Amino acid sequence: MKALLQKELRLAMHPAALLFLGLSALLIIPNYPYYVTFFYTTLGIFFICLNGRETQDVLYSALLPVAKKDIVTARVLVAVGLQLLQMVIAVPFAVLRQRLIPTGNQVGMDANIALFGISLLLLGVFNWVFFTKYYRNVQKVGMPFNIACAVYFVLLCVAETAAHVVPFVRDKLDTPDPQFLAEKLVVLAVGAALYALLTLGACRRAQSLFKKQDL
Amino acid sequence: MQDVLTVQGLCKQYEGFALRDVSFTLRPGAITGLIGRNGAGKSTTLKSLLNLVHPDSGDISFFGQPFLGHEQQAKQQLSFVMGGFTYYPMKKLKTITAATRPFYTNWDEEVYRRCIQRFALPEQKTPRQLSDGMRVKYALALALSHHAKLLILDEPTSGLDPVSRDELMELFLALVQEEGVTILFSTHITTDLEKCADDILYIKNGELVAQTGMTQFLEEYRMVSFTTPQPPAQAAEKLVGCRPSRTGCEALVHTANLPIDGAEVQKAGLEDIMVHMERA
Repeated sequence: MKALLQKELRLAMHPAALLFLGLSALLIIPNYPYYVTFFYTTLGIFFICLNGRETQDVLYSALLPVAKKDIVTARVLVAVGLQLLQMVIAVPFAVLRQRLIPTGNQVGMDANIALFGISLLLLGVFNWVFFTKYYRNVQKVGMPFNIACAVYFVLLCVAETAAHVVPFVRDKLDTPDPQFLAEKLVVLAVGAALYALLTLGACRRAQSLFKKQDL
Repeated sequence: MQDVLTVQGLCKQYEGFALRDVSFTLRPGAITGLIGRNGAGKSTTLKSLLNLVHPDSGDISFFGQPFLGHEQQAKQQLSFVMGGFTYYPMKKLKTITAATRPFYTNWDEEVYRRCIQRFALPEQKTPRQLSDGMRVKYALALALSHHAKLLILDEPTSGLDPVSRDELMELFLALVQEEGVTILFSTHITTDLEKCADDILYIKNGELVAQTGMTQFLEEYRMVSFTTPQPPAQAAEKLVGCRPSRTGCEALVHTANLPIDGAEVQKAGLEDIMVHMERA
């Protein structure tokens, strides 16, 4: 697995995927749909898979002395690494946003703990939809990404709308930290757990689909 | 001595094409050419060997062990090259090598350095900056560096000029003699095989129609030509793939069916055999 991860970083990684990590800084914009911030890593993952098709990365990997399922695991681990790294990089910007600009985000959710929890859930759903469709046919990257994006944006719209119209979200979750800390920590924990479950499920399903695929 | 590769009853059904009951073995230290026209099933056969294409049925063993269940051990001892080295066209060779090296338990850096020197491969360049011939050589350098005992190459000479093709055939011969490797390569450029192949596998419409030694295969057939536009009626059924020629007509004939009255007989080349058998 170590060799596969090294190969992912040396040969398969798309530079844009790393540049997008810097977009965590979007959290210091005073008014912005902050859920969009975490969308950029999904775009990075799409670029890696698209680039992989053009460079025949999947075929090269399949010819190496590794199990086919490990090729999928390595790619999913890279995606998880990018997504979690973006979260970590975003933390100081969320703190800065709250300290420097006391007024809440007028567009939607504040840059707070609950935002991270719900974003993890959105990324988990993206991983499930994208990887289980992409590994059906690795030659087709665009359609799985389009579908996964559409699902991501529908959920994003629901989450942002909830911050305006659902009383629990509006009054408790869409508030500066550390107000309603317990509720927000529960959202973070549930979001993280669902992210882990969805991503693990996506990985297993993708392994099974990829194993059957003719290259 | 143990066969390097044994294939038994390989079948794969596609819409409009089927690979039917392909069986063959590779002798250690031999160069085997897999020939057939475009679309005959050469690439499907080769891809099926490594389960890149999943056969509907059939047994494949490398070095005496079934491939399924011993996939990783087999891949440690072989190298599969499709065309030249067409992967990661924008990455430097040294980066590709650095990423590839950790996968092989038998990686020999000294051998790799020797190959880089021998093939004059510029490690700072990318595959895109290399000629087609150099790309194949880079793939061979990677294969030899992990002491691959079997090289499977799919159309390695496609797109190469005659001089580069000749160099590559010379290299194949040297690899067999110096390193003791076994080579299986597919091509539709039959003249390449006449220079170096020991054995021939001929695939036609998804079926293996010949598996034999090169010399024996060439000895089995002769070319016959007639000065008339049509061959004599009594000879017609002995002829394979009769076609018009500048001076009359010509066809392939099995040596068992010789002599034929009124025919000028010549040795048949691999291309003659393939062209006429495809017309039959």
